[in-house]
Amino acid sequence: MNMTLKTVLLAGAVLALGSTTALASGGGGGGGGGGGSVSAPSESAPQYDPAAEYAKAVAAIKARQYKDAARAAQHVTDAVPKSPDAWRLLGAARAGDNDWKASRRAYERVVKLAPDDASAHAGLGVALANLKDPKAQGEVDWLKARLQACGDACPDAANLKALTGAVEGAVAGGPAAPKPSAALSGHMLFGGPKAGDAAYVQAVSLINQKRYDEALASLADAQAVFGPHPDILTYQGYTWRKKGDYARAEQYYKQALAIAPDHMGATEYYGELKVERGDLAGARKMLAKLDRICTFGCADEEELRRWIELGHEPQR
Amino acid sequence: MRWAPRDADPVATFARVPTECLAPPRDPASALSVEVGRAAFRTPVLLGGQAGRAGLTCETCHKAGRGNPSFLFPGVSGPPGTADVTDSLFSSHRGDGIDNPKPIPDLSAAKAKLKIAQAPAEHRLEPFIHGLITEEFDGPEPSKAVLAGLADYVRALNTAACPAAATEPVTVGYYLADARRALQAAKGEVAAGDAPTAILMIASARSRLGLIDERFAGPALSAERRQVRAADRRLAQAQDALRARHPDVPAALDAWLRDSRGLEARLAAKAPASLFDPRRLTQAARRRLPG
Repeated sequence: MNMTLKTVLLAGAVLALGSTTALASGGGGGGGGGGGSVSAPSESAPQYDPAAEYAKAVAAIKARQYKDAARAAQHVTDAVPKSPDAWRLLGAARAGDNDWKASRRAYERVVKLAPDDASAHAGLGVALANLKDPKAQGEVDWLKARLQACGDACPDAANLKALTGAVEGAVAGGPAAPKPSAALSGHMLFGGPKAGDAAYVQAVSLINQKRYDEALASLADAQAVFGPHPDILTYQGYTWRKKGDYARAEQYYKQALAIAPDHMGATEYYGELKVERGDLAGARKMLAKLDRICTFGCADEEELRRWIELGHEPQR
Repeated sequence: MRWAPRDADPVATFARVPTECLAPPRDPASALSVEVGRAAFRTPVLLGGQAGRAGLTCETCHKAGRGNPSFLFPGVSGPPGTADVTDSLFSSHRGDGIDNPKPIPDLSAAKAKLKIAQAPAEHRLEPFIHGLITEEFDGPEPSKAVLAGLADYVRALNTAACPAAATEPVTVGYYLADARRALQAAKGEVAAGDAPTAILMIASARSRLGLIDERFAGPALSAERRQVRAADRRLAQAQDALRARHPDVPAALDAWLRDSRGLEARLAAKAPASLFDPRRLTQAARRRLPG
């Protein structure tokens, strides 16, 4: 098998993850041929690859080009409005641009989507402090309570301390408001693709070892680097499914398929979820879709077929 | 994922393959079994699990039944040409938590050099291969014919049967010849009443078409890709027909085999404009490889 050829030729892509080809062949934006466009403006508007825009925003923040970063991050939130990572990135970019109202709004979305996200609480606290909003103290208190619950020896202690200090500094009206790096300190955001790939590979291994909570943590690290990438979202869905939270799993599969409608892994695993819920008709629709998108056949399709034939997960 | 080092020589790695050292048995039943194993060896559907989803086959590590000094898979390989077969990335059964990649063996080396005794009387090879498929790669239970075929194929690999040339070029004909052999094996299994094995054989032929398709990249070759995909669709329909127990599958496969000669001629005529051409392949690899 010489699929290596394809992967080496794809080496210039942002990611080196499993289904990068699925992403590349997914989307299918724009176009339409023939004579004259009859499409609405919303249909002919530029379409963005969220993972690529995310990478662009990270690079712009690193270069302190916050307006560019915000523009790219906005594209990500437009494409994947339920991604906390995307909103966190937008919050940081807006903060860098001293647009504290917009920063606050972005971080509020993160807190709503991911209530336990310490860096989001910190970002929100910094934005509120710069807006002279007394609610900033509430974020300091949240971080302190988290630190206390965590204890000095917990792995997150140093990060929580740094975040708390940053918000306290902003509330105290220090000489300069903490910049995005404060709200993102200890975060994988700037870890770079190698670190992101390593976190992703580690997560897949942890899933196979049934260490689902650790796998989710690794996937979160990978997502911080790559943003809402369909491969990562697919495995987040898979892991939540294995933890028995089907509703949450479905959200992730839907997010992955919203970004890459022809993602083979997400289609297969969503089909398996439907089997587990007893929705065999829905699972068959996923199988029919795999039959269409798996040109030259694929293991994903055969695995889902086995699930449907048995009505449950095949025995291993 | 990258399955070859970034600095791999594109011609040596992708434009040529080692020659196969296969000594096929004479009696038809054994020859069919070897062909079944040979085709199963070349499809990701055999492995299933994460490896199969990533498109890996037995042949990814054992090119033409040999080794693969360029194999490099993140998280599984150490230096190129090695793999950690007890890593959790592919396996939910055999992960040992230790990073211990080992050199990939040449399956066509002298039998005494190989880890597993291959003599049928020792009954070691079949259980070993079964464990590889179902535990090391989390694959589905193989049919009896596939398991026996894989063992027979590995047994038929023999240093003494190595051709004089160590390598041969990768061509349209190379892959289509494999596809045809897989389909002949499928016909044999249809005749034996073993539909699941026949379906896997057709899957193998389809994956070879996929390898042709990826080398006909670019808008200028879209007509050729359409032909390859149409050929694939016919095979997918044959698989569906087998699942539905339609009796006309052998005739459909015969028709496909006949038509494949014309397809090969048309594709071969355009091959110089594709990534089957070593010069174009090198240019493409150099253009895309960062740094």
